[in-house]
Amino acid sequence: MKDVMGLIYTGENDIHLGELTSVRAVAALPIAGRYRVIDFQLSSMTRTGIKRVGIITQKNYQSLMDHLGSGREWDLHGKVGLHILPPFVTRDNQGMYDGLLDSLRSNLDFLRLSPEKYIVLTNSHSIYNMDYSEAIQQHIETGADITVFYAQPSEAFDGEGFEGEADAHFTVDPETKVIKAMEVGESHPTCACPSLKIYVAERETLLHLVERSSANGYHHFGRDLIQRNIKDGTLKICGYEYKGYCCQIDSIQAYFNFNQTVMTEKVRKALFPAEYPVYTKVRDDMPARYEGEGKCSNSLVGNGCIIEGTVINSVLFRGVKVAKGAVVKNSVLMQDVQIQSGAELDHCILDKSSVIRRNGRLIAPAAYPIVIAKNVVI
Amino acid sequence: MRKKQCVAMLLAGGQGSRLGILTKNVAKPAVPYGGKYRIIDFPLSNCTNSGIDVVGVLTQYRPLELNAYIGSGSPWDLDLSNGGVYVLPPYHSGKTGEWYKGTANAIYQNIPFIAQWDPEYVLVLSGDHIYKMDYNAMLQSHIANGADLTIAVREVPWAEAPRFGILNTDENNQITEFEEKPKNPKSNKASMGVYIFSWSKMRKYLEQDELNPNSENDFGKNIIPDMLADGQKLFTYTFDGYWKDVGTIESLWEANMDLLEMPMPIDLYDKKWRIYARNPGMPPHYAAEGSKIVNSLITEGCEIKGVINHSVLFAGVQVDTGAEVTDAVIMPGAVIERGAIVRRAIVGEHAHICAGAVVGEETGLIAVVGPKAVVGPGEKVAAGVQIDADEQ
Repeated sequence: MKDVMGLIYTGENDIHLGELTSVRAVAALPIAGRYRVIDFQLSSMTRTGIKRVGIITQKNYQSLMDHLGSGREWDLHGKVGLHILPPFVTRDNQGMYDGLLDSLRSNLDFLRLSPEKYIVLTNSHSIYNMDYSEAIQQHIETGADITVFYAQPSEAFDGEGFEGEADAHFTVDPETKVIKAMEVGESHPTCACPSLKIYVAERETLLHLVERSSANGYHHFGRDLIQRNIKDGTLKICGYEYKGYCCQIDSIQAYFNFNQTVMTEKVRKALFPAEYPVYTKVRDDMPARYEGEGKCSNSLVGNGCIIEGTVINSVLFRGVKVAKGAVVKNSVLMQDVQIQSGAELDHCILDKSSVIRRNGRLIAPAAYPIVIAKNVVI
Repeated sequence: MRKKQCVAMLLAGGQGSRLGILTKNVAKPAVPYGGKYRIIDFPLSNCTNSGIDVVGVLTQYRPLELNAYIGSGSPWDLDLSNGGVYVLPPYHSGKTGEWYKGTANAIYQNIPFIAQWDPEYVLVLSGDHIYKMDYNAMLQSHIANGADLTIAVREVPWAEAPRFGILNTDENNQITEFEEKPKNPKSNKASMGVYIFSWSKMRKYLEQDELNPNSENDFGKNIIPDMLADGQKLFTYTFDGYWKDVGTIESLWEANMDLLEMPMPIDLYDKKWRIYARNPGMPPHYAAEGSKIVNSLITEGCEIKGVINHSVLFAGVQVDTGAEVTDAVIMPGAVIERGAIVRRAIVGEHAHICAGAVVGEETGLIAVVGPKAVVGPGEKVAAGVQIDADEQ
């Protein structure tokens, strides 16, 4: 879609992801056997035909920068392309953003100088593969000032619709799409529909709202910019119902659960349709290799893996080695992890390049997966 | 364009007719190999890894897929401001215009392309072989010998020597004689079809050869014998790594099966000499519950529910429950339905093997299902048979 730019905010609160985000932003978290979380938002931008994408980075953004490079893999290396917006220190900026609204204020120049009429603003911890065009179309038709994505509430974690703990909920008029009520941070919300924290607006409108809000000393995007304007009715804020699959990665448990559900046919079909690939940095590994006694059941396996042991219900990223006699169950093994012979794993998340030595055993309950940090040898 | 020390010219125009229906619609260098590669990835990656960053790819036969595959050259880091990969089809120039008549004529027609880089040396490659080779080491040997032409050779078993172009040399590796398929070989040094010429000499001999109406305009038949006859300095450079010609159905199948050997005769895990390929952007492969994969290579995008034994599966292959694939090469996007059996076979890109069909036999020649061909439910394809897609 022409005349639309994208903006991805990567400064989310990641406290519940613990060890997994101690060395990186959530956006750069390896997921689903070969991707980083941000690949899904970026590939959705590309799918929509968006050519200009800004990425607001906050902490630990080195691994994110390394992953993104020139944006070539997402076809964002052109003249318009990818813009990485790291924090910077000036008289008005302390370098550390106080939330999304503050980060937008910091990057007002980027918003001001981009020529596109519309902007899609998304978080970087949601996994989806969507075309934003329909929402942009609805935004134009309703004449809304801001359109907010929401989902229908779902009871169970079943690989359809929205999965996650939303911190904002809406009540939406089904006819006019106007949001009638919004709650933020309620533990027992009376509004039913979870917010996906994806927004569409005219760039000029967003620019104006950010300037006005920060002039008033506001800093919470949802509470101050959206909720306040719903309450006093100064802006027309509409909801766009996203019916596809969307999973929020905001805790170790959510990360672990997602890596399990991604193996179901439903989720694989929803996230990886043949005509809209999810792009990621290419590693040039050779295909995965099964040797000797290697066995694999209900698992996702990336290129470059060598499987000589047994792998069940697990996700193996690129370049993982599972030696003879090792048994890996219900686990997530990130890039270049080595499981030596006779080792046994159940409900583990092993970060990049960690090693489980010969006959090592790590057995955790499903409700509390063990996380092994990057490069750790056990 | 700034001067380059060495420019590579890759001869990719051959039809590869011995590959039968696999090259009916694509040039041989675009034929898939090794689960995620195409043959041309090997010479292109070798160039990048050897520090040679100008590669002219001479195309002629069915170039569409090859051109699309090469694209801007970015997978091989060959999309450069000064250099990169250039696809060079034959062209019409006013009064004259013709197809490439032979290997030497193909280079002759591209003298202006080479000349614009003002190189000292020209590396000539073909797109028919699977090998990892440091062309820079060969170039250094060419320079050290003060050679006019260096020919890469490998020492083949003496019994096989009569099948190759054999180079007889003195103790300094200087070539004294070139014999095409000699009955009684005096040497076992077989030409690999990889040449480094000093550009000024190459240009002279190409121009001279073009004036000879009786010449076949071929390096092996004309240029090399002419240079030898004139007493030019020709040397061999011995390469002793894995090298496989994949010019026939059987050899293509064998070269794929070689990757299942332990240890692999060609190390594709080598991080210092990666073989680059265009990436289709597919998710990790999925091995379902009840699937069984033994001693095989499985590429991203595959969905395996059946049994895979000693086979190479390319990106996006689907094998349904109860299907059995043994000693087979299954190219990108092929579908093997429930209960089908594939043995000793090559299944082409996007081919479809319907439920209960049987392709190939346990022994005998390799069966081939062509790209996009369909083998109907319960049908049998005997050993050595090639199934073509219906004309569209």
